[in-house]
This record gives sequence, C-alpha cells and structure tokens, in this order.
Amino acid sequence: MQSGEQNQALSSALKGKTRLRVFGLTFDDVMRYFFGGNATVAVVVLALILIFLLKEGAGFFGQNHTNIRVYRKAGLEYVDIMRAPLEEFSSLTRSLNDVRLKRFRTLLAQGKDVAAANEALTPFDDFANAFGAAASEARGVVSDTTEVASAVKTRAQVSADREEEKAMLLHSGKAAEAAALKVDEVNYEAEIKMITGTAPVWKAASLEMQEKLGAALVVARAADWSKGDKDLAKVLEKTERFISDLPKGESRMAAWRWDEPVPFSRAVTAFLFGREWLTASFWQDWYGILPLLVGSLVVSLIAMVIAVPFAIAAAIYISEVATPGEKAVIKPYIEFISAIPSVVLGFFGVAVLGTALRSLSQVEWLHWIPGFPMTERLNALTAGCLLAFTSIPTIFSLAEDALSNVPKHFKEASFALGATRFQTLVRVLIPASLSGIISAVLLGFGRVIGETMVVLLCAGNRIAIPDFTEGLSALYQPVHTMTGIIAQEMGEVAQGSIHYRALFMVGIILFTVSLLINFLAQRVVRKYRISIG
Amino acid sequence: MIEVEHLDFFYGKAQALHGVSLKVQAKQVTAFIGPSGCGKSTLLRCFNRMNDLIEGTRIGGGSIRIQGVDIYDPSVDVIALRRQVGMVFQKSNPFPKSIYQNISYGLELQGVRDKSRLDAVVEKSLRGAALWDEVKDRLHTSALGLSGGQQQRLCIARAIAVEPAVILMDEPCSALDPIATSKVEELIQVLKKDFTIVIVTHSMQQAGRCSDRTAFFYLGKLIEMDATQKIFTKPAHQQTEDYITGRFG
Amino acid sequence: MNASPNSHPFTTPVTGAVRIERIAFNAFRMATYSILVAATLIFGIIFVKGSETIFRREFPFINVTFLTGSPETLHVFEHDGQKHELGDKAFRAYLESHGNPQVADENYVYSAGGIFPCIVGTFFLVVGSMAIALFVGISAAVFLNEYSRGGPLVEMLRLAILNLAGVPSIVFGLFGFGLFVLFAPVFGPAPDPSHFSLSLGFTYLNFSGWGVSLLSGWFTLAFMVLPVVITASEEALKAVPKGFRDGSLALGATQWEAIRTNVLPYALPGILTSSILGIARVAGETAPIMFTAAYVVRDRLPWQVEHASEVLFQGVMALPYHIYVVSSKIPQNVYTERVQFGTAFVFLFLVLCIALSSVILRSRMRARYRW
Repeated sequence: MQSGEQNQALSSALKGKTRLRVFGLTFDDVMRYFFGGNATVAVVVLALILIFLLKEGAGFFGQNHTNIRVYRKAGLEYVDIMRAPLEEFSSLTRSLNDVRLKRFRTLLAQGKDVAAANEALTPFDDFANAFGAAASEARGVVSDTTEVASAVKTRAQVSADREEEKAMLLHSGKAAEAAALKVDEVNYEAEIKMITGTAPVWKAASLEMQEKLGAALVVARAADWSKGDKDLAKVLEKTERFISDLPKGESRMAAWRWDEPVPFSRAVTAFLFGREWLTASFWQDWYGILPLLVGSLVVSLIAMVIAVPFAIAAAIYISEVATPGEKAVIKPYIEFISAIPSVVLGFFGVAVLGTALRSLSQVEWLHWIPGFPMTERLNALTAGCLLAFTSIPTIFSLAEDALSNVPKHFKEASFALGATRFQTLVRVLIPASLSGIISAVLLGFGRVIGETMVVLLCAGNRIAIPDFTEGLSALYQPVHTMTGIIAQEMGEVAQGSIHYRALFMVGIILFTVSLLINFLAQRVVRKYRISIG
Repeated sequence: MIEVEHLDFFYGKAQALHGVSLKVQAKQVTAFIGPSGCGKSTLLRCFNRMNDLIEGTRIGGGSIRIQGVDIYDPSVDVIALRRQVGMVFQKSNPFPKSIYQNISYGLELQGVRDKSRLDAVVEKSLRGAALWDEVKDRLHTSALGLSGGQQQRLCIARAIAVEPAVILMDEPCSALDPIATSKVEELIQVLKKDFTIVIVTHSMQQAGRCSDRTAFFYLGKLIEMDATQKIFTKPAHQQTEDYITGRFG
Repeated sequence: MNASPNSHPFTTPVTGAVRIERIAFNAFRMATYSILVAATLIFGIIFVKGSETIFRREFPFINVTFLTGSPETLHVFEHDGQKHELGDKAFRAYLESHGNPQVADENYVYSAGGIFPCIVGTFFLVVGSMAIALFVGISAAVFLNEYSRGGPLVEMLRLAILNLAGVPSIVFGLFGFGLFVLFAPVFGPAPDPSHFSLSLGFTYLNFSGWGVSLLSGWFTLAFMVLPVVITASEEALKAVPKGFRDGSLALGATQWEAIRTNVLPYALPGILTSSILGIARVAGETAPIMFTAAYVVRDRLPWQVEHASEVLFQGVMALPYHIYVVSSKIPQNVYTERVQFGTAFVFLFLVLCIALSSVILRSRMRARYRW
C-alpha cells in the first residue's frame, strides 16, 4: 500500500529539518527578536532620559553645597543678616509712601489743587523724612561690609578657578606648567575679622536707628494729622514691632560663626524650598525652585480653571446632545485645535492676546474686578488663557471617549424609568464615566504643566513668587516657569557650571511631575475598570 | 492517523479538556459534536497547534500523535506540521488578494515560483473544491467579490492546494445559507477520498449527513465516540441521547 | 376626561426637570461654540494678518521673495525726502548707487527677506525624524500586537510607552542635548583626548557628541513622537482581521511570513495616515530642537556643504524656532509685524494642511477597507 510510504514522508516532514538555522535560530526567530528589540526602545529611551538628566544634574547638589559654603566662609551670610532689617525697613517706607499717596488722592478728590494738597501734607512729609533718615547710618555700614565680603568672594572664586586649571593641566600631563601656576589660598579667618569687626559700629547704628524711629513714632502718635487713619496706624504698629525686633538680628550676628560647617542637606533644601532663583548676580547666586514651581502651578491652574469646564461641557454636548451633523463638524474641529503648534499660540499671545487683555482690563466699567487694570501685557493670565487652548482638545477627546464608553444599557435603563436626558446624564452617565473624566483632566494638566513655548513667550518671565496677599491680582503678575527657565537659560550657560546643572535639576523635577501625573491618571482609570466589570 | 491519549488542556487556569482519548481514522470524515464550550474546537485547534498562538494555553498532560509522531514534541516544527494539517475556519477568511493568489499563496510560501506548476495547482485545487467552473473566468479578480459559500469553498481549495494529509474544519458552514451548506457538504464527501477530514459542527444533521464517525463532547470530556450511524440511532450514553434528541444544548 | 383634544398622557409637561435640562444643554452648547469661536478667531487673525505678507494684489499674487529668500535685516530710512524700507543687500546697493550718503536708518533684524531656509530646515527635520520614528514605531507595534503574549515584560513596555507620551517636550530637549549633542559617539581616526573614546581596531569611537545638528534633532524628535506612532500602528494592526493571520498560519506560513504577506500590507495605509498626526507634532514642536538642532540664523542651506557627511552634522533653521526668535527677540512694530505674522501664517498653514490631510485620508480609508 502506498500509505506506508506516505506515512514515512509525513513523519519525517513533521520533524521539520527543512528550515535554515543560524545559531539555532530560524529566520522567524530573528525577526521576532528584531521587533522585540525595537519595542524595548521605549523602555530604553525612558531609562536614558532618566540617566542623562541625572548624569548632567547630579553634580548640582555638590556644587550648590560649595556655593553655600563660600557664602558663609566669605561672610556674605553675615552681611545678609545685617541687611535683612534694612530690607524690612524699606518695605515700611514703601507702605508709608502708599499712605501718603492715598491721602493725596483724597485731598484732590476734595477739590484741592496739587499745591494745596502738598501743602496740607507738609507735617506728614516731615515725619516721613525723619522716618527715612533714621536708617542712613545703618545703610552706610551695610554697604561698606558688602564691598568687603564680595571682594573676599571674588578672591575665593579666582583661587578655585586656578585650582581647577591646575588640576586640568596635571591631568593632561603638563606638570611643569601646573607647578608654575600659583594658587593664592584665601585666609578666610583674617578676612572675616574685617567683616565681623564692624559689629560694634553696626550696633551703634542700630541703636541710633531705634532711637530716631522711636522719636518719630512718638511725634506721629501725638500729632493731629495721624488721628483716624487706619492705614497709618497699621504702619506705625509694624514699625514698633520692627524696633523691638532689631536687637534680635544683633544676637544672630553674635552667634554667627564663619567656620560653622554647612550641612549637605542645606544644598538640597536650598534648591527644593528656596524662594529665590537668582543667577549671574554679583553678590550671591541662589537656585531655589519655588518661584518657578509656583509660577508653573499658577499658570497651569489658571489654564485648568478655564479649560476644564469648557472641555467637559463640550464633551458632554458632543456625546449626548449634539445632532449627528454638529458632531461630524465639531469633533474634528476641536481635535484640529490640538494641531496648532504651541509656538504659534505663544506668538498669538505676544502679538494679539496680551495687548487685547490689557486693554480690556483698562475698560472703565470692568474696574470692579479685583486687580484690574493690569499693569503687564504678558502675565500669568495671558499664558493661562492660551495654555487652556492647548489642553482643551486633550481633555475633550479623552472625556468624550469616557462618556461614550459607558455601556448603552445603563442609559437605556435610566430612560426606561422616565428620566430626562439631563437626569440620565447627571445621575448615570457622569458617575459612570467619572474616573475617565478625572484622568482626562489629569492628563490635560500634565500637558499644560509641561508646555514650554506658550509660557516662555507669554508668562512675562519675571522670576518671583506672585504676591498672593494682593488677592486676585496675583494672577495678573508676570511669572516664570520651570519649562520656561530651561528653554530660556539653557542656551546661555556654560556646560558643567552650577547653573547648567541646576537647569537639569529642574528638568528632573519636571520629569518626575509628569511621571507622577501619568501614574495618577492610570490609577484612576484602573479603578474605573474594576468598578464597571 | 491521529491518536489522542489522555489529553488535558488548559486556558490559563481553566481546564478546557479533561483526559480526552480518541483515534481518528485515515481517509474518513470524523465529526466532533457537542454544546458550545464543550472543548470540541479546542481539540481541533490542538491538531495543528493553532492554540500555540493563544496566550496562556498549555497541554497539561497526555499526547497527540499524528502518524506516530508526537506533535508537541520539541523536535516537531510547527510550520511543517501546519503544512501537513490544513485548516478551514468558521468564518471564511479569504485574503484580500485575487482568487489565484489565494490558492497559490501556500505554495509560494514553500518557495514554488514555477508559473506553470502554480497554474496547474490552482486549477486542480479549484476543481477539487468544485469552484473551477464558477470562477475560471475571473481568477485574477478579488476573492472578496465571491459569495459567502464560494469564499468558504475557496478557503477549502486554498487548504488542499498544499496537499496536506489532514484537513481540519471548524464549523465551516455555520455562516452559510442552506444551499451553500449543501455544496460544501457534497465537497466533503468528495474530499474524503484523498484526505483525512475532521469537522467540528453545531448541526447534528450535518454530522449525520457527512461523517463516518462522530465524537460527542460535553464539558471538556469525550462522552462517546463511535460510527455515526450508531451514535444517532443507539447512543450508549444517556447524555448523548439527550443532546441528539434536543433535550439540551 | 381630557379637556382639550391635544392633551393625552404623553404630552411633554414643562416641569422643573425639563426647564433645568434646557438651561443646562444650552450652557453646554454655548461652551462648545465658544471654543469653536475662539479657535476660529485665532486662525482668522493669523490668516488675515499673515496674508498681507504672503499675498500680493498683482501677479504672481504671492510674495515670492518671502517664500524663497533668506532672512535679512530690514533698514528703514529717509533719503531724498522719500521713505525707504529695504533689506540688507538692497540697502547697501542703494547706498552705493547714491554715493554712500549718510542716512539715519532704523534697522530690524530678520524683518526683511524670506523664510526659505526655515521651511527647508523644517522639511529636513520632519523627514528624518519621521523615518526613524516610523521604523522603530512600526517594528515595536508589530512586536506588541503580533508576537507578544503578555507577561510582565510586555506590561513594562506598555507602561513605558504610556509614560513616554507624557514626558514634557522640553525634557526631551534636555535629554537630546545631554545624549546626542554632548555624548553620542562619532567615528574618528584618532582618540579624542577630552572625551571618552573606544578603540574598534580600525577606527575609534569618540563620545564627543554630534553637536547641534540634524542628526541630534532627528533622534530627539523621533523619540518624542514614538508613542504616537506606536499607538497609531497598533490600531491599524488591530484593524486587520484575525482570519488573515490564522489563514496564513494554517497554510504553513511562519509568523513573519504571515505578517509580511497578510498583515503589514493591509495595515500600512492605516499606519501611515494615522502617523501624519505625528508629523504635525514633529513639525510643530520647538522646545526639543532649541538646543539640539535649530540655529537662530544660518546662511547656507542644508545641501550647500563641502562633504556629504556634513549634511547630517549641521544645524538648520526651523520654522517654529524662527517664530520664537522673531516674536521674542525683536520689538513689536509695523515693520516687524509683517515677518512675524507671515511666518506664523506659513507655519500654521503647513501644519494644518498636514493635519487636515490626515483627517481626510482617514475617513477615505475607512470607506475603502472594509472586511
């Protein structure tokens, strides 16, 4: 029978010795590993991002530690303790000026002309002048020590640079040249004596200031013109506290030691909680991320406050209310918005929106809105409005997906019970898709906080924490952001410098924040899957 | 031809087949019947290891031998196995190519480039699947233009073109109308002269009409297997009788 | 029982619930339409103001210089009682032809000439980075959709892709700067003393970085857009019926043969159309190329190089970066407005065309491929 022969053929065919193998791999296996290798690129890139951010940013804390050590050793810290009350005093003088301005305006409003108003304010001005003059002696002392300290710092920097140069020469085998290079050691102890030596002078100046201010206070309290002015009373009260606090600074100065070691944690906290980002300053550079973080958050929150209601309302409208015709046009149109390059939006802010918003804020009948009129064309609000635009498509399409993924029978069950569409929406659809909507909002937030060009062009780029005591008008102040600072300063810094590394640290923070937001969004979605199933 | 011994099969943790043992005779039509989820399709897909492609599936115990070769042995090349054990699916799945390319696809995979040989095989396979007269004038038009029944017969032609020893059919008529179904059934009768055929079907009439032997599965177990005639007239088990008489399933 | 013939139990009573519904739905409608209006305003203002630069009333109706010239400094000056606005070259020619008079001119950088180098640069950046992204992205999608069987490794891959999609573009910029600009290896005949270098026997690999170059920009942008391409490819692969794969495998095709002959050909059109959105993103991003590939100004066009290898290692001008430069580094006035709005117009127009073609192609695809 032929089947015996056929059986033979079949069983040998099954053993499959026909395919070519290289290193025990068939061509199919090779392709499989090839594709698998490409798929791991995503993991590799993510890892590389982390590695290279860390590689470039890692040295930051060490350098910042040195930076802060020099700040102490060269006596800059000491001078800053001296200077602190003076800065507080300056703010007192400013509030005094505000009081005067207010009085002046009231007088004008009462029908007096400028000269008469100034005339009426003469006793006040006399007081203010005496008040201001009280600090002149102390100011002199501080400015002298400032010069000494910065000279010490400069020398410290020069010798550090030399040392580096020497190390480089040694490294490349130029020992002779290295030996020729002289490094002047800075004798901090001797230098610091010159600074701490001013303590008695400062004490005298401080005493004088206390006396003069106290005298001015007595005069002001006794005089007629100060009666019933609540603003002035507040300033006077603050001044009183200021006077009694002055000796505290002196005791801090007495307790200060130049050779007290700076703990390494200070380098970290100075970055994470530092309220100042000050670079290329003649005095002392600070790399505190707070103003940038707060700036990013303020802008993002403004954007979210605008975008979330609009995007979700639109998502609901499209998925539940709109006619098929509307749906066919509006949905792609909104998704189209996401194609607008952010730099174009930023340009639009610079060229059109900033000016438009400011002139809107100058319209008379809108002055009841706190903070209007705005002083700056480019501020957190301008950037926020445009950022809202970048996040609307994201939030819209994800929320719309979440809504339309709600199983149909939920909706039908609700309708069958006689609920209106709106009741069904509020009671059934939104609760069922809530986690999807929340994760849409989170991802929109992630998009906004990572956006660069709009904030770089429109946020005004002033590195300062907005003054939240002024209420809503804090929103119209210019801010700087984490993304903006990287884009703006990266091109200008020297590679390997502390500033360069600080920017990479900001990048690490941004990266962490984006991962965190993603993680949260996924958590929310996962929870939702369980609740449906 | 095919010998299954004490086969246990798992989808993840769920056991789909419990100690199934049976023999499929060469050049006969063997039908697998039983209610949905009884494991008949699973067993069928074990014969050409299509289950390998599904996540988390594994053989828990037992063996499947085709012509004495354990097909789950590591030395067996699954590609070679599938060339010997063809398959026709529940939903006809012609490729979106021409009718000619659909048939020649299997041979081209084996490296056949000879045009005259391909032509010959295409004609032979289409004749074998009783489709030649209907499509000979439009061999180079898209296979998607054929009717459902024609598409399924095209899939059968595609399967026989590579001359397998066994053809597995997974509910080949479930998506076809009665006329197309009867054509496929006629075809099966013709094909069994050259091929060993295993067919999974939902329709007992179909099993009765075209199979020589029938196996009844229930909840992953083989309840009984015998000549079709016997199963339908004098089943040995109560469950089989209940199913055949339509009391459940 | 019923007073009027029209009242039956199924009339709509105007109850509180109905009134609330009307108010709420109208509010939703207003919100939706105000988004559309705002978007239209942005498009409108840029197109109207930009078209003043781009279009001309007389033949050839289009400002050819703007589209084919290089950026120049604009000189505004008065001479012979006439006000002139001339680009750098024309200004010098004018002075020469008038015997080099002393004129008080105001000048504005980049405000004259055109933006041709930026268009070319963006084109180069997009083509290169999309080629890389498509290659890696499609391969990754094939693995995830065709080969992978789940498990912790695949979970990790998916998680990584998801997270990669959320990384801010400026972080990609920093990463590209750190890796490609400063660290990536180049072949060299001798070891570079200032960088880590690796001997390969016949040549050396110096890890001295690629510098600010097309190559750095390509890879940075490609990795940024990778999640988009992978997701798009996976969707297109999923749309190919499972029967095609089963059918091929049952005929004895290896998995790669099944994919090559019966999956990829049918998925490819879908992959490409969905990836066009990726192109829009790559073309539109500024932050990743700021320190990796873009020059503020460059005289030579990308193909004007001495050696072919330099093509890859040169920076280019790019439209988005140019917009950033002209809107932040030069003052806003009548003279600079032209180039600002003109550039924004051209850029927005290009990007929207890309996005639009994706939308149109996708709907066409849906109509054509039904199986």
